[in-house]
Amino acid sequence: MAQMAAIAEARPPASRQRKNRALPSSAALIATAILVVGVFAFPWFNPGYRALSFAVTTGVTAIVLYGMAIPFGQAGIMSLGYAGLMGFGAYTAAILSRDFGMNMWVAMPFSVLVAVLCAGLFGLPSLRISGHHFAITTYVMCELLRIALINGGKFTGAATGLDLPPMGMLLGVKLDKLGNAYELVAAFMFLSMLTAYCVANSRYGRTLRSIRENEQLARAIGVNANLHKVGAFMLSGLFAGVGGDLQAYNFRHISPDLYGGATSLYFALMVMLGGPRTIFGPLAGAIIVTFLPEVMRIDPVDSRIAYGLALIAVVMLLPGGVIAAAGRAYRWAARALHGAPANSGSADAGASLT
Amino acid sequence: MATLEIRALRKTFGGVVALAGVDLTVHSEEILGVIGPNGSGKTTLFNTVCGVYRPTSGTVHWNGVDIAGKPAYAIGRLGLARTFQQAMSFPALTLRENVQIAIEHGSRRADGAGPQWSSPEELLQFVGLEAFANEIANTMPFGNLRRLGVAVALGGRPSQLLLDEPAAGLNEGESVQLIHLLRRAHQLGVGICIIDHHVGLMAELCARLAVLHFGNKIADGPTEAVLNDPKVIEVYLGEEQ
Repeated sequence: MAQMAAIAEARPPASRQRKNRALPSSAALIATAILVVGVFAFPWFNPGYRALSFAVTTGVTAIVLYGMAIPFGQAGIMSLGYAGLMGFGAYTAAILSRDFGMNMWVAMPFSVLVAVLCAGLFGLPSLRISGHHFAITTYVMCELLRIALINGGKFTGAATGLDLPPMGMLLGVKLDKLGNAYELVAAFMFLSMLTAYCVANSRYGRTLRSIRENEQLARAIGVNANLHKVGAFMLSGLFAGVGGDLQAYNFRHISPDLYGGATSLYFALMVMLGGPRTIFGPLAGAIIVTFLPEVMRIDPVDSRIAYGLALIAVVMLLPGGVIAAAGRAYRWAARALHGAPANSGSADAGASLT
Repeated sequence: MATLEIRALRKTFGGVVALAGVDLTVHSEEILGVIGPNGSGKTTLFNTVCGVYRPTSGTVHWNGVDIAGKPAYAIGRLGLARTFQQAMSFPALTLRENVQIAIEHGSRRADGAGPQWSSPEELLQFVGLEAFANEIANTMPFGNLRRLGVAVALGGRPSQLLLDEPAAGLNEGESVQLIHLLRRAHQLGVGICIIDHHVGLMAELCARLAVLHFGNKIADGPTEAVLNDPKVIEVYLGEEQ
């Protein structure tokens, strides 16, 4: 051992130029390119009004899910408050439109600001409680918001909710046409995906993962875990604010029931189904949960039973979600076909966010 | 050189007195061992010094700065690092990411004291784990995990390292490797303070020993003298004979 140590010390220090930034694999880049083209080209396949409006809902939801994937996937803190945060964004947009005549773009920063501040507030209990306890607390906060909105009188439109004006024009494009609104939402969705990817692969992403993996050790090496926990929630609130603003203007009518605990549970289902630590997971989850009952013609009530079973199945059989499982299957198939050496470790390369 | 001064440190949990007013001075030039039977307050001492617990009373000064009751992360940033007996690493991350996180945080001292690392690879090489940089921590054998724990602590450029039973669960060969590693860390100018039951290991590694018994320090001095102290033999070593 002493000799080994001497040899180790005699060696020159490891090269500085290596940055260790894991570049996305070519397979992942090709998959991303196909996805981007496919998503933007979707309206040209004449999917029909119904499918297109489902797609808009999916996109808006996915924006929020990419935000949710940061505290949940990276910092390991599951919150059931995201429908509520989206609601703060949506109601801010609706109220600013009604009282001050602000359009979607002017209202967006305000929606984001309100959602970010509320996200910090929703995240505060995570400093004291964790796991199921924290999830339940945020669920309750969401339900409280719904009750407050119902009882908000004229200010929140009570149970009926609020109406919004049309989206208007952007650079000469009429956004009120569903196909155009879809492209706008798709652009924001990809922006969210990219942002989540960059966060996960940054120093900040690593810091959040250290809290997820071993909070005590993270603190001992100088990580201000409390600050970063609340910070991660505030960052995810940004996504919820944008999503809420876009949703309000796409639906043109919002009501308290959109933002209760039940919607939050669906969000959680989507993220877990798709996989919170994979780049395509949140989008895949949103697509599956939104489109599956439509495609399979399942009754909405029956579909809830199906989702419950699906969630249990995913947690037990495919931990990490369907995209992580697909990545594993792809690597397994590649090894079987080419006889390539096994990928060392169990890091989810390729489709992984990290 | 850095100094940790613990004065009349007391920590109680309800009616249980874990530390009954401990005085201990730790200089970073030395390798100090803290021994004592189970429940004598060794781990509580580290936890209270490092901000996991708030002291009931007493003072802790690190380089003249009062750190008693400061949060753990703030103490870590002052260059006082520790390892944990159980929680050694970030289990689902690669070894490279484990040490990279430590390098990106850790000491923020303006004087740049403590060992400097130009890359995660350099640090992994220092602890002899460079071949496993891309492996996931929880796939590592226990001996490697212990060394990774030391690497994560060293990554934060500490001036003083507090190690909580770093050799627990290691076999003879792995313990010897660990002793070498700690000696080399010490040569980089990092103070080493180590808790263990293993008297043989402590006698080999440490020049000075302090003995805790029911939250009291009953001996403190050169290893040889402490191990021959009748009081120490009675409360601690006697049990092993």
